[in-house]
Amino acid sequence: MTTASAELGRARFTLRREPMFPLWSIFGVAAVVAILATYPLYGTEYVMNLLGMFVCFSIFALSISLIWGFAGILSLGQAIYFGMGAYFIALSLKLSYAAENPTRYGGTIPDYMEWNGLTEVPAIMAPLMHIEVAIVCLLFFPTLLAFIFGVITFKRHIYGVYCAVITLAEALILQEFIIEYQAYTGGFNGITDYETYNNMYFLWVILAVAVLLFGTSRLLTHSRIGTVLKSVRDNDVRAEFNGYEVANYRIFVFCFASMMAAIAGGLYAAWMGIVSHLDTGPILSIEGVIWAAVGGRATVIGPFIGTFLVKGAEFFLSQQLAWAWQLVMGLLFIFVVKFMPEGIMGTIGKSIAMGRQRRAYAESQDAYQSGPMAVVARLRAAFTDGNRGFMDNLLGRSGRRD
Amino acid sequence: MGDAVLTQFFSGFSLVAILIIAALGLAVIFGVAGVINMAHGEFIMVGAYVASVVQSGLGGNTFWSIPICFVAVGLLGLVVERTVIRGLYDRPLETLLATWGVSLILIVVIKMIFGTELHYVGSPEMLQGGFPAPGNLPFPWYRLFLILLSILLLIATFVLFFRTKFGLAVRAVRRNRSMSEAMGINTARVDMLIFAYGSGLAGVAGAVLAPIKTVSPTMGFPYAVDSFMVLVLGGVGNLMGVPVGAAIIGEGETILAFLFNSVIGKLLVFLLIVLVIRIVPRGIFGYQERTLGHRR
Amino acid sequence: MKINRRRFLKTAALTGTAAAFPYFYTQKFAKAEESDEIKVGILHSLSGTIAIIERSLHNAELMAIEEINAAGGVMGGKKLVPVVEDPQSVVRVFRQKAKKLLLQDKVVAVLGCYTSASRQSVLPEFENNNGILLYPTLYEAQECSYNCFYTGAVPNQQLDDFAPWVIDKFGPRHYLIGANYIYPKETNREWKALLDNFGGETVAEEYAPLGHTEFATNINKIASLQPDVVFSTLVGDQIVAFYKQFKQFGITAEDIPICTPITTEQEIKGMGPEYALGHYTSFNYFQSVDSPENADFVSRYKATYGEDEVTNAVMEAAYFQTYFLAQALDKTGSTDADALITEGLPGQEFQAPQGKVKIDEKNHHTYLWARIGQAREDGQFDIVWKSEDWIRPDPWVDLLYPDRDCDFTDPRVIERIKSGDRDRSGTIEI
Repeated sequence: MTTASAELGRARFTLRREPMFPLWSIFGVAAVVAILATYPLYGTEYVMNLLGMFVCFSIFALSISLIWGFAGILSLGQAIYFGMGAYFIALSLKLSYAAENPTRYGGTIPDYMEWNGLTEVPAIMAPLMHIEVAIVCLLFFPTLLAFIFGVITFKRHIYGVYCAVITLAEALILQEFIIEYQAYTGGFNGITDYETYNNMYFLWVILAVAVLLFGTSRLLTHSRIGTVLKSVRDNDVRAEFNGYEVANYRIFVFCFASMMAAIAGGLYAAWMGIVSHLDTGPILSIEGVIWAAVGGRATVIGPFIGTFLVKGAEFFLSQQLAWAWQLVMGLLFIFVVKFMPEGIMGTIGKSIAMGRQRRAYAESQDAYQSGPMAVVARLRAAFTDGNRGFMDNLLGRSGRRD
Repeated sequence: MGDAVLTQFFSGFSLVAILIIAALGLAVIFGVAGVINMAHGEFIMVGAYVASVVQSGLGGNTFWSIPICFVAVGLLGLVVERTVIRGLYDRPLETLLATWGVSLILIVVIKMIFGTELHYVGSPEMLQGGFPAPGNLPFPWYRLFLILLSILLLIATFVLFFRTKFGLAVRAVRRNRSMSEAMGINTARVDMLIFAYGSGLAGVAGAVLAPIKTVSPTMGFPYAVDSFMVLVLGGVGNLMGVPVGAAIIGEGETILAFLFNSVIGKLLVFLLIVLVIRIVPRGIFGYQERTLGHRR
Repeated sequence: MKINRRRFLKTAALTGTAAAFPYFYTQKFAKAEESDEIKVGILHSLSGTIAIIERSLHNAELMAIEEINAAGGVMGGKKLVPVVEDPQSVVRVFRQKAKKLLLQDKVVAVLGCYTSASRQSVLPEFENNNGILLYPTLYEAQECSYNCFYTGAVPNQQLDDFAPWVIDKFGPRHYLIGANYIYPKETNREWKALLDNFGGETVAEEYAPLGHTEFATNINKIASLQPDVVFSTLVGDQIVAFYKQFKQFGITAEDIPICTPITTEQEIKGMGPEYALGHYTSFNYFQSVDSPENADFVSRYKATYGEDEVTNAVMEAAYFQTYFLAQALDKTGSTDADALITEGLPGQEFQAPQGKVKIDEKNHHTYLWARIGQAREDGQFDIVWKSEDWIRPDPWVDLLYPDRDCDFTDPRVIERIKSGDRDRSGTIEI
């Protein structure tokens, strides 16, 4: 199959109408959420801690899959927004913690500010002490930044490889800034030693947010906007000729995904009790891209599966196979890219869809050839098989017009 | 003070040379094959280790290790291209993930062979010491050698691209892949050779940078970072972008570091890069594609 | 899609199995450990940027554990079992692995961390779960946690004698260069205070971004300022790059010596001895220390890990802190954390390669010897000065904090820790 027809096949497949929330997905999500939510009752605190982190990272990977898998924008700087969210919350928690508990230097401002020679919290940061302010900032500023970047980039038709490289550079630069402005950010050591929310109730909060964002993403990608986005991903020029303002769709989804990443970052900061420059840098961004790719970037559930799988394997292997776990990871990435470009869920979804299509086709063929039920079967196909035209089905034609 | 400024200007040149040497391989691969080679830094690292083997195992110096590293890392690039990159050219974004996997593997393999600690590579006898240059410091021979080498590599690459038949094919592929395929150019072979050439350049970078910096399994990433900065600033797809990007970053960083300090110098240069890439997203020498087809 | 019975049952069965899986999984983990083994956590990066140095600490600790076990173990024949984790040079992973060692493996203590960043990231975990961390690195001090024992040098053990010696020998004008993070900044603050005290002056104080390895500008400034001494607190691969470039720009140790509390044999091996030749390092231990214990230690280390290996001060601390732990276990005869912290470890003595060392009874830091070494052609140090006695550690240096001290025997501190206060530091105002 040549590229063009493969491309077309993919487009056709993704445009197929599916129910917004199929029964199995509701069941599945409910089951997984139930397992995770009750885990602290019978599990260990360490694994609970890992699970919470995985969920935070999954939300982050979901944000990447939204812009990459559904809109065709590969950002290697998505951790910028994750990190911004994480730093807002960590700063807020640290400021309020320091105000109540004297630090090792005996002051009431964060210890890293003290050893950098500050005597009081800078006025611009002081309001962050209130967690409400931090949450508003978390929702507002990353989205604003994404909006600005998005307008500059997408309005000028910059995406693909350029976009990837530019965002990579930006993530690097933000990381440098955080390291250098250590009086405000904690620098290389990051921010740690503050009130951490590492318990079952906060796990529920994380899960609730994850389910909410999962549902919203599913709504978004299966709505009209989602369909337009997919068409933009598959052929933006054609979408533009069809009268869609392509850039606006991209900016919208980019802003939405960035806000999502920031929320993931905020939850992560509260859950983990530590934030550092590595949480804003290119490596986390690339890791997020990998999680999304492994799970299936053009699916909403894929990022969750990819993150749990890759991160879980990482934690398992780094204990069992300390010397070679990175080797296994490297091979896994190459394998996924080479042989499962749609990721795990993408591949499964594709084979299910193809099977369904084949069955429908076979049924219609059988019916056509064998007697009295032919008309009924063809009629049924005409109303149910969305992949071929109404008349094609009715007349038993193949319906391929390419 | 005037002396110090002069010295500063010269040492800025040597930083520019280092950046050019490090970034050239990445630029060639990206510019022609459209592959973001995330393993570029690790190719440099492998080059540095090969140089350390040449030095300790074969008793050769940097002059020996330059061709050996070029061939060795070039071959490595060839293998990577044939096994990993091949078949991904129509999905450029995915090459990025695959090469990231390659970089992880290279780090582990090098670590298993050589261990995690720092390795030592010395500079050749005849390039030790310096010569009296205008300014208040003697200028190291080795840095002069780096400057000359960077110019040499640039010229070699220009000649290869603009004065040979192969270069013509490369430029044709760069402009319009399917058209050149239709004209009978073996694009797969061009991609393969360009990937090998770019990797070889990374190997040379490893060989000549090892004597002034450190050699360890994780040394590659900072070089990859610097190379990316040069690339995005100078512009992808045009070789002129490399020296120009390197010049702006290198001289800018050294001059600002002298006026203020290294930290502020670095940050100001970074700010400049953000501004430039946001105003001219394709870089200073960016190449505006004229295709109206399927844009990625 | 309709819900029919079969579909419902299928989904329910799947869900049930999936839900039960983690339960069985944790059951497997929760099995009680063998009673004749004592688990010790080892938490040093084996991958990532810091692995360059942490690998050697990991090696030294494993070697010490083997020796202890070969000599009959602890607490009357129990074996120490190392639980090795790789925190990948990432602070987040440090934190999680610490949590795992404490909660899942229930180790009696953790030997680990190298950078201040990693120590600060794991400390809250140790304080919340009342674990024990033995930390082998020299560091900026101004800290003392109930749950941490610091066996590396603090500034007063490395700098207090070094500063007057340097000023006396080379002159008062110092150029300070360091990496841009907490350790160099705090060390320089102390060094400047010492310079003030002994009549020196700072001609410039500069910081290089971490990972920055291009020092032509700084060397140019050094050449135009002509200081008597360069005091360097650069770390990691910066050290190698700086020494190399220093010499390549034609400045030798005779012109301007580099004096530093951090460059070890390890970095000199990485840069090539000719670049470090003649420069000075202040440390409690050098591989060239002349003592039977050290000769033993070095030859055993080389026999285990290769003839090319060099030993260094941080790894020596990693080595003897393992013995501190074993002796403390013997002394208390239990693995109870509070017993070890209050009874077992304080006051513990050991005949280490550098000489006799002791954990201070009050402040959780370690009595160490001070030495000044000058780098030789073979990458080793000539010890040009040695303290007459071991030096008491003072985490709150008198020069900067005359009215502050760290004392875990102070009733106020005991009260504070007993009351379950979140603040577990032993810092008091005097």
